[in-house]
Amino acid sequence: MMLALVRPDSWNFPLFLHVLGAIALAGSIGAVTVLAFAVRRRPQHGAVLSRVAFQTLIFGVVPAWIVMRVGAQLIEDKEFPGDKGPGWVDVGFVVSEPGLIVLIALGVLAWVSARRGGVGRASAAVAILAPVYLAALVVAWWAMSAKPGG
Amino acid sequence: MDTYDWLLFLHVTAAFLVLGGAVMAGIFNFAALQRERPSEIAVLFRLARVAVIAIGAGMVLTLGFGLWLVHHVGYGWGETWIVLSLVLWVLANALGGIGGGREKQTRELAERLAAEGDAPSQELSSRLHDPVWLALSWGSGVVILAILALMIWKPGA
Repeated sequence: MMLALVRPDSWNFPLFLHVLGAIALAGSIGAVTVLAFAVRRRPQHGAVLSRVAFQTLIFGVVPAWIVMRVGAQLIEDKEFPGDKGPGWVDVGFVVSEPGLIVLIALGVLAWVSARRGGVGRASAAVAILAPVYLAALVVAWWAMSAKPGG
Repeated sequence: MDTYDWLLFLHVTAAFLVLGGAVMAGIFNFAALQRERPSEIAVLFRLARVAVIAIGAGMVLTLGFGLWLVHHVGYGWGETWIVLSLVLWVLANALGGIGGGREKQTRELAERLAAEGDAPSQELSSRLHDPVWLALSWGSGVVILAILALMIWKPGA
């Protein structure tokens, strides 16, 4: 029996919002990762690429994180009202909340990198931190979809 | 974790590749639209190829694991949301394929202009802002988004 497939209609919109935000977050962090590596490999375009990376963080990653987090809260309130959710829900919150600190650090480093034309330690740090955050998102979407431990 | 959990995880991962790749491609295309120097446009289009690989792999895997899930769970093959999703999957591939071909030509033009002095070009600008190409590229993304909505609402299930 597939109980996980039966979902009240009122859960659909918050879930859509949460998944949409998570996908936009993963895509825009993926773009920052690709740009950060490209800054290192193509220093002649470092200024442009580091600027695009910073703009992607501000106009892509931050709004996507907000949509993902708002959607998560809405669906959690409906699915586990007044209750502590199971372990796989905690995995999501562990990634999203401390993850915000990583995103703030990433934003500051990307800003410094853009100011310096993609040259220096800040751009190297962006190239390390962005894929680490992307890997954390992979762990979160594994927990959200496979729901280990029920 | 049982077979259903693994199939769902792999199907969702493939969906992240498709939609995340589409977001990445959108970011690189939008950034290219803001630039005038052919070398900068060419480098952004070259980066977009990473997104194209993610979308291509994700498209194949979403279909494969999706069909496996339908069979495993026992959904009816004629259910509205499944039929619509398959039709939209074909449409998204068609739009993305045509848009991708035009994008390749634009990248090659940008690379040629970059090698010939890297001066801003009206021809390149016109190609970048071509409404047909923009409609194909962004339209493909909208269709993929519609598939995501179908997966969640499952009309007719």
